[in-house]
Amino acid sequence: MKLRWNPIVKKDLQVTARSMRLSWGLFAYEAVLTMTFLMALSIIQQSSRSFYSSGNVYGKLIYLFPVLAVAQVCIVAMIVPVITASSISGEKERQTFDIMLTTCMSPFSIVLGKVMSAVLRILFFVVAGMPIMALAFVVGGLSWSYLFYFVLTIILLSVLSGSIGILCSALCRRSITAVILSYAFYFVVYGLTFLPMFLKLFMTHAENVGESMLLLLFNPIIFYEEFFMQLMTGESVFGQNGSMFSRDEVGFITYHLSQGRAWVFLSAACILLLSLLLLMAAAWKVNPMHSSSGRRRKKK
Amino acid sequence: MSLCGSIEKGRGIGMLYINDLTKNYGSFTAVNHLSLHIPEGDLFGFVGPNGAGKTTTIRIVCGLLRASGGSVRIGGTSAAVGSKVMKRMIGYVPDFFGVYDNLKVREYMDMYGSMYGMDSRDIAKLTDDLLELVNLSDKKEEYVDTLSRGMKQRLCVARALLHNPKLLILDEPSSGLDPRARVEMKELLKNLHSMGKTIVISSHILSELSEMCNSIGIMNRGQLITAGRIEDIMQQISGGKRMHIQVASGMESAVRSLKEQPGIRIESVRENEIIMLFNGADEEISALIGLMIQNQVVLTGFYREEGSLESLFMQLTGGGAQ
Repeated sequence: MKLRWNPIVKKDLQVTARSMRLSWGLFAYEAVLTMTFLMALSIIQQSSRSFYSSGNVYGKLIYLFPVLAVAQVCIVAMIVPVITASSISGEKERQTFDIMLTTCMSPFSIVLGKVMSAVLRILFFVVAGMPIMALAFVVGGLSWSYLFYFVLTIILLSVLSGSIGILCSALCRRSITAVILSYAFYFVVYGLTFLPMFLKLFMTHAENVGESMLLLLFNPIIFYEEFFMQLMTGESVFGQNGSMFSRDEVGFITYHLSQGRAWVFLSAACILLLSLLLLMAAAWKVNPMHSSSGRRRKKK
Repeated sequence: MSLCGSIEKGRGIGMLYINDLTKNYGSFTAVNHLSLHIPEGDLFGFVGPNGAGKTTTIRIVCGLLRASGGSVRIGGTSAAVGSKVMKRMIGYVPDFFGVYDNLKVREYMDMYGSMYGMDSRDIAKLTDDLLELVNLSDKKEEYVDTLSRGMKQRLCVARALLHNPKLLILDEPSSGLDPRARVEMKELLKNLHSMGKTIVISSHILSELSEMCNSIGIMNRGQLITAGRIEDIMQQISGGKRMHIQVASGMESAVRSLKEQPGIRIESVRENEIIMLFNGADEEISALIGLMIQNQVVLTGFYREEGSLESLFMQLTGGGAQ
């Protein structure tokens, strides 16, 4: 079977590659990453010169990895919705979307193509930032495979952020509204998933948050916290003594999920599932045969 | 007159069957029980004032809008509107379309060819042929956004033909084009029609449609008022026979004698001209002239107004087009 490129991915990459925005975007990305690296290095150096420090700066350099990784995660989380939220609404604004819908591409292929092209564009940035990331590895203490795992998580985060953006893009007529709605959606995924846990803690004064934490499987913040905790210490954020959630405080299921790397894998699966649902919702919304009677189209 | 089937009488097999199509937006009915059959190889003009429901009908046929009721069939298939089978049969050219920055003409064609699942070698070959057909061969390596509006419109026609659709649908293809580009577009469509393509055009420019199309459908307020061959509809409208009588002297006598005749309705009386509608047979016209001469009316001219698509349209819809 011949493997076919999604035509939208091909077109988006062609158009992006010729755009000045890509060059400026790469420049800005590298600049932010370099600044973060230098600031982190400076803090590590200063702390190693203090009276109480052993003076071994090299032992602390491995912390450059989580610092740079978190910086990249934040940048990716911020820019992916901007790329995807304007994708469908941008096509509508350009009046190219109707033509796209009259072709043999299914609405799902169209939205998937848009998200895939956003993920690939993000990978340009991440790969370009690899040499800076790799500086954290030269001192040893970290396995090179961590870089690969990190790239996988970035793809996962890009897919989730892209799916949020594409759904908002399908819901809104204007790109700017779609971008704003995407960040509002972020608040739901990143913030409101904590709500059941906080409600249980504060409303019932319970000592045990129980299974109200399970909604956090969909939360990328907790996913990354657990991911870095596993990589750097081999411990789970739920099981570490003195952490916010000790084993006594979490429920039975959450406790068992915190063993080994189960939470990371299950959370990744949940995030992928959520992304798929969002993609399907976006495809349903853009399908003219599914949408309701709608508004009358104004002629330009 | 039954509008259904009126166009295809005595001609080829049907290409587009629209049956009892309705589209409601809340309480507003954009398309009201529209039925229309267009035979294969026709160049059909969809005429109507703004808001008549032409674009809505076209968007439903192309699978861009869900109908509230009724059915659409193309080429005799029973596939649902918006299905891949239907999409392969239609080439759609919207009234306005944007382009992508930084995309060349060849890449533009390649992208849409891929969207129809075509092989890249086939796309390349067809792109060459189609760009030649629309006279854009020399623009193949140029960026789409650098083309003129007319060129972009022709490129869009080439794009719509890439998958060799049975039915080409153009929604106001000449809107926003300069006169030269309009002529080029008209020639292109005539050329495609001569190749046997079934084409449906919605337009406001009636003079152009009357030159190009062999059949038309006139819509107003969501309803199809009439549809059929242009000559048949013209004959239908000229059944009213608008006559112009130029009078040198004896105007009062002329008006009086005309008013006395049955089947005559005087529309206007000017200084030297009477315009009237006459329902009688052609042989009665000579008797009418004889009567006026007998009544001492000096006639300098007497002619029957030829029916035009404009006058037909105005009569049926009360205006609204160019």
